[in-house]
Order: sequence, then structure tokens, then C-alpha cells
Amino acid sequence: MGVPVKPGGADAADISGRNDLPAVAGGARASWRRALAGFALAALALALACLLLGTDYALGQATLVATYAIAGLGVVLIVGQAGQIVLGQGALVALGAYVECLLAAAGWPPLLSLPAAVALGACGGAVASLPARRLGGLYFGMSTLAFALVVEEGLTRWTSLTQGAAGMLVPAFGWGGWRAQTPFAQFVVSLAALALAWMACRRLLRSRLGRAWRAVREDEAAAAACGIDLARAKSAAFILGGGVSAFGGAFYAHWIGFISPEQFGLMLSFELLMLVFLGGVGRLSGALWGALVIVSVPQLIAVARDALPGDGVGSAGLETALFGAVIVAVVLWRLWLPRRGGLR
Amino acid sequence: MLRAMLTFIQVLVSGLAIGCVYGLVALSFVLVYKAAETVSFMQGELLMVGAFAVVALQAAGWPLAAALAGGVAGAALLGAVLERTVLRHVLGQSAMGQPAMGQSHLSAVLLTFGLGLMLRGGVTAAPAASHGMFTLPLPWADEVFRLGPLSLPGGQLLVMAATALVAAALTLFFRYSRSGLALRACAEDARSAALMGVPVARMHTLAWALGAALAALAGVLLAPITFVHLNMGFIALKAFPAAVLGGLTSLPGALAGGVFLGVVEALAGLVLPEGTKDVVPYLLLLAALLLFPAGFGARRTA
Repeated sequence: MGVPVKPGGADAADISGRNDLPAVAGGARASWRRALAGFALAALALALACLLLGTDYALGQATLVATYAIAGLGVVLIVGQAGQIVLGQGALVALGAYVECLLAAAGWPPLLSLPAAVALGACGGAVASLPARRLGGLYFGMSTLAFALVVEEGLTRWTSLTQGAAGMLVPAFGWGGWRAQTPFAQFVVSLAALALAWMACRRLLRSRLGRAWRAVREDEAAAAACGIDLARAKSAAFILGGGVSAFGGAFYAHWIGFISPEQFGLMLSFELLMLVFLGGVGRLSGALWGALVIVSVPQLIAVARDALPGDGVGSAGLETALFGAVIVAVVLWRLWLPRRGGLR
Repeated sequence: MLRAMLTFIQVLVSGLAIGCVYGLVALSFVLVYKAAETVSFMQGELLMVGAFAVVALQAAGWPLAAALAGGVAGAALLGAVLERTVLRHVLGQSAMGQPAMGQSHLSAVLLTFGLGLMLRGGVTAAPAASHGMFTLPLPWADEVFRLGPLSLPGGQLLVMAATALVAAALTLFFRYSRSGLALRACAEDARSAALMGVPVARMHTLAWALGAALAALAGVLLAPITFVHLNMGFIALKAFPAAVLGGLTSLPGALAGGVFLGVVEALAGLVLPEGTKDVVPYLLLLAALLLFPAGFGARRTA
């Protein structure tokens, strides 16, 4: 197998029919077919968006969707597979973004800087989950939340390294003489990254560890009786999930081009949580669908706000309120829906 | 030497005052947690809305006492309405034990966060509220009390006195009133309580209403310390570690945790370098989870 997308190697006509991801995600025949249909749909939506919104804009948004989906995959591992709760994943995305930014600025090639970002994210996940590893459940939420707030404060205060709240400019992604400057190149790179992360997660879910996670999620006592080390399985979820989210953060930094601590605050953590909740916590593809919604909702809200009569003074508040309403609506919708595959 | 001593005492008193506010918000966290077994992420927003409601009522010409009562009662009503209309459905499902543990927490956390965003957005949409600092003309708030060489701001003393009053009232409520006892019974064992004729659903509404009222009260008491503004709800993020330090199920523990946190934070601001003060609550929370998983104030009965 391997990553079928060669950066810069495909042309624009290729994109609408792109169906290489299912080959990566493929496994059992039925899920393979479903994934194929899903990605055909996604490709169609992208083609349509390109026509309606302009190619560059649509590709830029698709890049963001893929990047959010990577960060979301990390949350899927923790919340969907291991059944724990995480309220500070934004901080691990931040760690990945800052490491990548600093190392890329220092001239490291992505092949070295990306693993470093992932490693620090994994360390962050380990530290964040350590205090609660024997308590589990909601206590993971508390410890990861506290960790995230400490990280945010640290990034703001360590001005000699991170330039604090003023933020940092991130160099373009690339190695050698090549730079991912055009929206298309960025899209292809992020798609390849998503495929890589997806493949890794897929492998994990089928491994002994993945089965252990699902056992822990379904019934801790039974899992323990089967010889699963609960604390170890949970810690592993946070470590691996942190690494995956940091991987997404590294690309996020490149695509946005500017990072500051407040981008990675509580809001991002909750967005990621909502992302996986929306797409269905139990499935990897949930991260992609959730990312699609998370990226498009603020834009739809902005459009809706322009359509509404208003003076523009309270419009920021209206946006916040609408976003909150969307979260509430999604949670209620998810719970009232007869429990299909999504909430397994 | 004397100067250092005076500074120390003043810092201690201001820490105690802010700690009392933390304690009140932590109490509201604990009340909700005991009833619904979830952490409500909208307590900070309820605090802000409550404070703004009092400011608005006062600006509309109500006398201060009436505005206070109106604002706090309004917040309680808001909490009750939210519980009845939205929260009940989600939390009711989790009580059945149908979805896996983590997922019921997940939906409750997301739901309260979303409701908080709606409240926050609603206040931001009001042009007058979105950018401005407001004060409440609470009695003695602007005076300075002198005790020999020591001068203490009246606002801080007021906060402490009010917190003591609230704590006493809550103690009486939970020890002697019928609904207080019923609430405790529900928190202890909802099933048995229902069998003994306690209206559990109504008690849940009461718990959310009380939690909202406490948060609003904390918002009013915060006014002399930090003014009333849009982001005052962030204090809930610091009150939350206080609730955990207290064991998350113990009301006195929550209050003690809040006061402890306020004092430690104030002293940290005195001796530690700039900026570390703000992370002290979270570091304490992490340390507490690591070292004392059962909490300081919690009595493990189950």
C-alpha cells in the first residue's frame, strides 16, 4: 500500500474522481464499499464547491477540513474507542503546531520535524492523562482541561521561545527547494497526511490495543477480568491520540501561517469534541464528516448573519449564540436519533 | 518587617475574598454534580448573566435589594427552565446507563458548553453589554476599613460576610428543610429516594436552579472585586479546580477548596514570578488528582 497521493503529481481533473483514500481505509468488503461511496460523495462535494465558490477557496477549505479531521482522529481514539473523555485536546494540537513552527523555522525538514511534533504531542497526552489514569471517566476531562490551561498560559508567558500572545509566523511547508504555496499543493499534502494518519489509526483499531480499548469502553470490569491493564490501555489512548492530534496541529500551523496561543484555547478543544460527537464517536470516518461540519458551520453562520437584518453591533454575539445553538441541536439530535452505527 | 507583615495580611484578605467567590461557584458545581453526575460548563456564563441581570434591573430603576433578588431569582429560573427543557433529556438518558459512560459525560459536557455559548452570545448581542465594565453600588463596597495600621477594602469584607451568610443558609437548608433533605437523599441514592416518595425529577430541577442562583450570587459578589463584564465568567475555570480539590461531592469541601485556592493563589502572586499565579489552581488540581484521588473533603461512603 503506501500513500498513493504524490504531492504535486496529480492534475486538477484527477481530483474529482479521487478515490484513493478508501483503498487505504479498506478492509472488510462492506466497509470498503461504504467508504468508497463516502469518498466519492466527498469528491463530488469538493468539485461542486470548486465550481460554486472558486477553486482556490474551496481547496483551502478542503485543506482545513482534512487538517481538522487529523486532529479529530486523535479524539476519536480517546473518546470513541477507549470511551474516555478529553477536554484539552486543543493543547496537544498547539504543542504540535508550535514544535513544527519552531523546527521548520530552524530549517528542519518535515521528515524530522513532524515526528518531533508527534512525539511532543504524545508526551503531552501522557502528562495530561497521568493524574487521572486510575480514576478514569470524567476525571480525565478535569486533568486534561487543567493541563490545557497550563499549556496555554505557558505558551503565552514563554515569550522568548513562542513570542507569547503576539504569535508567530510559520514558514511554508516543504523540503529541499519545494514549498507548498498553492492551495492545490497544500490540499494534496494535507490529504496525504490524512491518509497516513488514517492508516495508522486503522491499524491501531485492529491491533490488540484497539480491541483492549473497545473492551474498556464497553465494560471496565469485564475488560479487567480478561487481563487488560485498564490504566495502561487508557494511558495508551491518550498518548497515541495526543500524537495524532499534534500531527494535525503541525499541518494546521503551516496552512494558517500564523499561530498564537489563543487559537488553541478551550474553544478548539470543544470544537474537536463536537467534531467527533457529530460524526459519530465510534468511527474514524466520523472525524472527517465532523470536520466538514465544523469548518463549514462558522461560514454558514456568517452567511446567515448577513442575511438577517441587523446593525452589525451585536453580530459577534449572534455568531457565538448560533454556534452554541448548533452544538445544542447536534447533541439533542444525536441522542434522539435511534442509536445507529454512530453511537456504538 | 511591619510593612511586610501588613502587605502579607492584606494579600491574605484579598485572597480570602476571591477565594470566597471561588467557593460559591465551586458550590454550584458540586450541587449540579451531585444531582446530575456531570460537570456543568455553563456555570461561568450563568454567573455573568446573573450579574448582568442585576445591573440591568438596577439601571431600570429598581432598588438595589429588589434588583439583587430579581437577578438571582431570574438566574435560578433560567437554570430550572434549562433543566426542564433541554438538560433533562440528555441526563435522563445517561441515568439509564444505556450509552457507555464516557459518551453520556460527553453529551452533557457538550450540551452545557453549547448552552453557555448561547447565553454568552445573547449577552454579547446586547450592544450596551458587549463592551463595558459595570459596577454595582453594593453597600460598603467602596469604603476602606481601618484597623490600626491595617486598611481593608470594604468590598472584600462584604464578600466574606455574604459568603458566610450563604454558607450558613445552605447548611440550614440542607439540614432542616424538607427539600434540602430530599435533595441530599437524591444525591445519595436516587432510586431509594424515589421509593421513599421523593420527587426525584423535581429535585433535579431544584438542584440546577440552586446551582444557577449560587453562580449568579457569586457574580454579584464578584462585582466589587473585578467589575461586571463579559468575560467575568472565566472565573468558573478557576472555581472548578476548587470543586475538585474539595472532592466534587462535598459542599463544605467545595467552599474550603475555594478559599484555600484563593489564598494560595494570592500568596503565589506575592512570592512567585509574574504569570505563575494564574496556573497555580490548575497545577494544584493536577497534583491533587495525582496524590489524593479521593479528594480532601470527600467522605467515600459507597
